[in-house]
Amino acid sequence: MSPFEIGLVSFGAMVAMVYLGFWVPFALMLSSYVGVWAIKGSPLLAGKLLALAASETISSYFFGVVPLFVLMGYIVSVTGMGRDAFDVANHLFRKLSGGLGIGTVGANAIFAAITGISIASAAVFTRIAVPEMMRHGYSARFSVGVVAGSSVLGMLIPPSLLLILYGLLTEQSVGDLFIAGVIPGLLLATLFGVGIWLTARLRPQALGEMSDAATRSPLTQQELVAKSLPLLTLIGAVLGGIYGGYFTPIEAGAVGCLGAIVIGLARRSLGWRDFWQVLNDTGLVTAAICFLIIAAQMYSRMLALSGVPAGFGEFVASAEIGYWGVILAYVALVIVMGTILDSSSIMLILVPLMLPVLSVMQVDLIWFGIVTIIAVEIGLLTPPFGISVFVIKSALDDPAISLGDIFRGAAPFALMMLVLLALVLAFPSLATALI
Amino acid sequence: MADAMSEGEAGGLPAWFLTLRRLVDAVTGALNVAGTVLILALMVLINVDVIGRAFFGAPVSGVPEIVSMSIVAIVFLQIAQTFRKGRLTRADAMLGAIEARAPRLRQGIELVFALAASALVWQLYTASLPLFVKAWQRNTFEGTVGDFTAPVWPVKLVIQIGCAALLVQLLLFALAALIRLVGRRG
Amino acid sequence: EEMTVTIVAGHPPVFRWVKHASQTFIPAVNEALEGTDHSITWSEQYGGSLAKVGEELEAVEEGLAEIGLVSSLFDPAKLAVQNVTYFTPFVISDSTVVSEWMDELQATDEVMRASWEANGLEYLGGAIGIDDYLLMTTFPVEDIADLDGRKIAAPGPAVNWLEGTGAVGVSGNLTTYYNEIKTGVYDGVIVFASAALPGKLHEVAPYITKVGFGAQYAGGLAANKDWFDGLDPVVQQALRDAAEADRVAYHADLDASVSTFLSMMEEQGATISEVDEAFRKEWADGMDNVAKLWAERLDAEGLKGTEVLKTYMDTMRAAGATPVRNWDQE
Ligand code: NA
Ligand code: NA
Repeated sequence: MSPFEIGLVSFGAMVAMVYLGFWVPFALMLSSYVGVWAIKGSPLLAGKLLALAASETISSYFFGVVPLFVLMGYIVSVTGMGRDAFDVANHLFRKLSGGLGIGTVGANAIFAAITGISIASAAVFTRIAVPEMMRHGYSARFSVGVVAGSSVLGMLIPPSLLLILYGLLTEQSVGDLFIAGVIPGLLLATLFGVGIWLTARLRPQALGEMSDAATRSPLTQQELVAKSLPLLTLIGAVLGGIYGGYFTPIEAGAVGCLGAIVIGLARRSLGWRDFWQVLNDTGLVTAAICFLIIAAQMYSRMLALSGVPAGFGEFVASAEIGYWGVILAYVALVIVMGTILDSSSIMLILVPLMLPVLSVMQVDLIWFGIVTIIAVEIGLLTPPFGISVFVIKSALDDPAISLGDIFRGAAPFALMMLVLLALVLAFPSLATALI
Repeated sequence: MADAMSEGEAGGLPAWFLTLRRLVDAVTGALNVAGTVLILALMVLINVDVIGRAFFGAPVSGVPEIVSMSIVAIVFLQIAQTFRKGRLTRADAMLGAIEARAPRLRQGIELVFALAASALVWQLYTASLPLFVKAWQRNTFEGTVGDFTAPVWPVKLVIQIGCAALLVQLLLFALAALIRLVGRRG
Repeated sequence: EEMTVTIVAGHPPVFRWVKHASQTFIPAVNEALEGTDHSITWSEQYGGSLAKVGEELEAVEEGLAEIGLVSSLFDPAKLAVQNVTYFTPFVISDSTVVSEWMDELQATDEVMRASWEANGLEYLGGAIGIDDYLLMTTFPVEDIADLDGRKIAAPGPAVNWLEGTGAVGVSGNLTTYYNEIKTGVYDGVIVFASAALPGKLHEVAPYITKVGFGAQYAGGLAANKDWFDGLDPVVQQALRDAAEADRVAYHADLDASVSTFLSMMEEQGATISEVDEAFRKEWADGMDNVAKLWAERLDAEGLKGTEVLKTYMDTMRAAGATPVRNWDQE
């Protein structure tokens, strides 16, 4: 077999192993180990490739953002700032039809400005918003669907772990990517809100027997300030710090953690036990993500040696499908892979494959990043593997609501994400206007 | 999901195995704590650097180098625990469907998977060992002479330790699958 | 005999030295082998596809690639003595001269040669010279006092050049300079013209001061030693000759573009000024003798730093340089 064929076969084998349920990082590692062995004819060299990638891939200052933003998101949720966001958003939207649903979306948008991971949003709002909505007569399916759908805002509105990862993969400015995510993020929140409002108006029975938020007592002026001030301070410190030039994104992560700890201590809502638990979880999330990145690096080096990306690039560049053919095929591939893979794996597998092609076509990599993030995040909501849905299920602790219910509840939101994706594809300035 | 995994995980496993696994878990847990402490230290260090630079014109030397080395250490200190807690990414829809119809087949597949992963991690361990030895013997450092330097070997050693810990957890996972595979229907 | 050779570089081909590896070195080897029994199929792995910046050495040492553009600048521990130029600023501004003599020293100087061999490498030549480093700032620099308290980013060892100026030196990275100056994390950078223009740094740091830090040696082409030793002498010679052709072509290209780059930045609104001898001397004299510290540290590790420092300074003086400070003679 030629190296090119070896590359293709190991790609196929890797996908098959992933579907069968082999751990994704090990599937990537195995296909690269066997691939390099076959290409170079030496198991020794294949082992060396693994070892070099393991020690060097993540040995970079920029990877410091991973634990820091994860930690900040967790501290924010254990200190009760997520609940504050919910209360404030509901106060603001209390007069609208479907107000509690819209309030959940709004709260997620606010929370998204301080968390970088969608699973944090999903976990937090399952605990806060779902019981509240069900108490007000919303159906269980709609309640969990709103939470699942709006959790994607966590990684579209900056800061975002996925945008950071994309920036690392493509050597694009993380700051620019963050800015590019703002309009699409707010637009998606608006789409969700309008969708809920229209449904409440036209087909209220779809939301259940809702009596709605008007029955909740509105916040007093004083409560409103007390609940929004800590949030605004933290958002201001993190985003203002990055864009105001006081510090790098990594430093913003560390400063944000410290800020969240200080707020938590001041409000007496952060205990030592919670803090330790959260630190531990941060470590596990960091290790899982970084190990995956390492394995993906091994795999992309094997692919480079096989010549598949270069060949793929030449093929696409000379094929007749053209610019839109390539972009649409890519988006479709991302969405299909999203049914079984988690967000970072998809990006780590596909983006290195696409980069040579994109540079031939002179694609704006910032815009392409936003397109990628939206397409990848649809996968958070689609069965059989939808991580947001899984997190909601495990945070819910209610056997009456099945995984299927949550997937069905989230489906309309996945459709609205497709609408957003089409808009960003058609109007690239939605992503690039602010840069 | 992690909870779902730990529930009933003792099912069909003999007492000696559970004792063995408790011992291994204690070591894995200790490594995990070391990684957790390192994350905390990193957060403090960066804050000291930012404050020092902003208010006292005195940044801490070597923060980028320390961050880049620590992140590797954190990952390898915690990778065994990550695996143990079922947090390593996998798509288990197919496995779930198989288990519903043929529980033993699932155990057989798990056994093959765990053995394959063990072989890979063993390969990673042996191929990384010379890198550690070289860093030790040549006293390789990161940073710049005159500004900040730190030896590289501790990080390379952590990689070895992390691989070894992950390997042991994988082998235990394989052993559990084997016991369930050959054991009586539980 | 036909063979496949993998050549690796961490930087992408938009960087001039990578472009010349692809467009000068490889064609030169192929041409030299024409009519012999040997031919090479090249697998070109640039831009981090096989090894990132600073990983080239290990990729070649371990045999994942046969040849690499090995950057000593990013491997200060393993190729310590090769970094001598970065510890001896204010010596000479002509990168062509620095490169020619550094290539010569890699072949003739025992200590330099041993350093490559200790890493399992055979140095081929093709020195990557870096044009005279500039100070680019968001504010005009007329006096050293202007630098007081300013945050200046510099690559690795060049952070030491800021010692004694009152500026706060921060170790930085080319890829983030633009954003971090724009947002005010840094007030300036130490950078070379051929990177400043493509990086549009003059848009955010329009005051360009030619302080005369000097040209530098950043690395060169090296091969896996075991592989190289097993080659037919004809092929070995072809590789060496091609590496020399590469160095000549790269530096001709570099020299031509540096003056173009400077004038383009000026046209686009940058202010370029050159400091006088007194300023330069004040700066150099205000520094610690970091060359000496560096050499002593290497001595302590048994790497003969003092000897290399002296050899390098002697070589440059013999080549016509008039160093602002004779780092080796204090
Ligand atoms: Na976010
Ligand atoms: Na999915």
